[in-house]
Amino acid sequence: MRAFTTPKALIGLLLVMLFASVALVSPLLIAGDHATKINILARLQPPSLAHPLGTDPLGREMLWRVMLGANTSLVIAAGAVVLSIVIGLPIGVLAGFYRGWTDHGLMRLVETLLSFPALLLALTISAVLGPSERNTILAIGIAFSPYLARIVRGETLRVGALPFIEAARSQGASDWRIVRLHVLPNIMAPLIVQATISVAFAILAEAGLSFLGLGTQPPTPSWGLMIQASRDYLDLAPWTALVPGAAVAMAVLGLNMLGDVLRDVLDPTMVAG
Amino acid sequence: MRYLAHRLGLFVVTLLLITIVTFLLTNVLPGDVAAMILGTRSNPVTAAALREELGLNLPLVVQYLHWLSHVARGDLGVSLIFKEPIARLLAQKIAASAILVVLSLAIAIVLAVPLGVWSAVHRDRWQDVIGTGTALAGISLPDFFWGIVLILVFARWLDWLPSSGYASPLENLPLALRYALLPSVTLALSLMAHLMRMTRSAMLEVLSQDFIRVCRAKGLAAGTILIRHALRNAVTPVLTVAGLQLGYLFGSIIVVESLFNYTGMGWLTFQALLNRDIPLVQATVLMIAIVVMLTNLGIDVLYTVLDPRVRLT
Repeated sequence: MRAFTTPKALIGLLLVMLFASVALVSPLLIAGDHATKINILARLQPPSLAHPLGTDPLGREMLWRVMLGANTSLVIAAGAVVLSIVIGLPIGVLAGFYRGWTDHGLMRLVETLLSFPALLLALTISAVLGPSERNTILAIGIAFSPYLARIVRGETLRVGALPFIEAARSQGASDWRIVRLHVLPNIMAPLIVQATISVAFAILAEAGLSFLGLGTQPPTPSWGLMIQASRDYLDLAPWTALVPGAAVAMAVLGLNMLGDVLRDVLDPTMVAG
Repeated sequence: MRYLAHRLGLFVVTLLLITIVTFLLTNVLPGDVAAMILGTRSNPVTAAALREELGLNLPLVVQYLHWLSHVARGDLGVSLIFKEPIARLLAQKIAASAILVVLSLAIAIVLAVPLGVWSAVHRDRWQDVIGTGTALAGISLPDFFWGIVLILVFARWLDWLPSSGYASPLENLPLALRYALLPSVTLALSLMAHLMRMTRSAMLEVLSQDFIRVCRAKGLAAGTILIRHALRNAVTPVLTVAGLQLGYLFGSIIVVESLFNYTGMGWLTFQALLNRDIPLVQATVLMIAIVVMLTNLGIDVLYTVLDPRVRLT
């Protein structure tokens, strides 16, 4: 547990908690059209007491938009990672547990999908389905699932070779029982590490998709969209890019640091040593 | 040899699977291709006519085999938005992107390997904190954000480099490099961060092994140990990450080329997706996937050169 008190762990934990609490509270806190109301007279105001983080090119309050952007980001990233686990976990467990031809067949498919860069796959799915928040979750979730499947397969192979699996089998336990009671709990740790890092990547992917116009659609506040909107006003109003950029950085940095720490704590090779 | 033959067999299977996935991506997902292509001009009559023209009424398997037989002969069709043979478009754009890929790889490796070694040697001291901190920042910010910052600093404020555009290296090499520099640095940053982290951890692992202590004990110079003994053994995992990251690079190239209006493969892919140019989407997606697969194959072959142990298995 000492690993959780290092500066890295504390900063990571703090950033993730900040991100999650802003994401969860902001929709309740910021009522009505505060974040979407266009006010041309107050456009591109620099940060001040009246506008803590300045205003955007349409005169909307950056503070409210960046806070609500956290919500969009978390909902889409978490949704996508859950979806990628729902798809990738069964494939990985099947391949790793049954090995042989099941493994060959499934892994051929997974490796084929891995030849498509995740962002390309997500962009294509989003373009074909039509960009929306739901389809962004689908696109990123599907694009990430082969990575999940490959990691789960590797861990299942490792756990499946351990003596207690053979012991359970010799006592007549069914495959389903072995997977549920022995395999799944033992692959949880690496899965949690991977999920944490995947959420960070999903936040970057959502921002990228939205930046290109194939993710979250306006007027929903999204960090990627905010950076996109800032492009033409960089000289005039650099805060319009820096504020959402810093938001992405803090969320992703926090998750990456937490992922690193979790890996150090949960990595089975470290526990054994 | 058996290892390579096995890899080659898998290569052919994966190639076929890639064409199937590419085809299915644009055909099985819900949505009417004809209506997408026509957009606002779509009405039942024109949509039906276009479906007929594109052969969309045929069974899916027939459509796929038809498409595959054309692709196999190098006929990728005609782009709907550029009204040009796709094969010709691809040839130009791949050349443009190749410059970016080579430049950004070079920048990333030149920065990442020394930084990773430096961090590993000074483990847990301030040098390591700087090194790993830089790397964490590199992987935590989206590349388009770095791109915007670079445009702001080097194009707007300092006015050293153009903020967008492309020039052919065959016509004007210095100008082509000027256009390619900012996008390449943007692409290199996250690549560098991942490579640096891998170099560091691979070096830490090698440095803790007994043979390094033997090297020290017999009085080899620190530099010789580091480069000829430690780094040489840390290369394989770094190469693996480089290979995986290349796949990532071919994804971020879409964003970065679009940001810099650099008309390469990524830009072309994005234009195809944005305008629902289905034949062009199929061609670009297929091409990128094949390049990623070839890169991975190349890295597997490189393993056998760098690490003789692989050849035995």
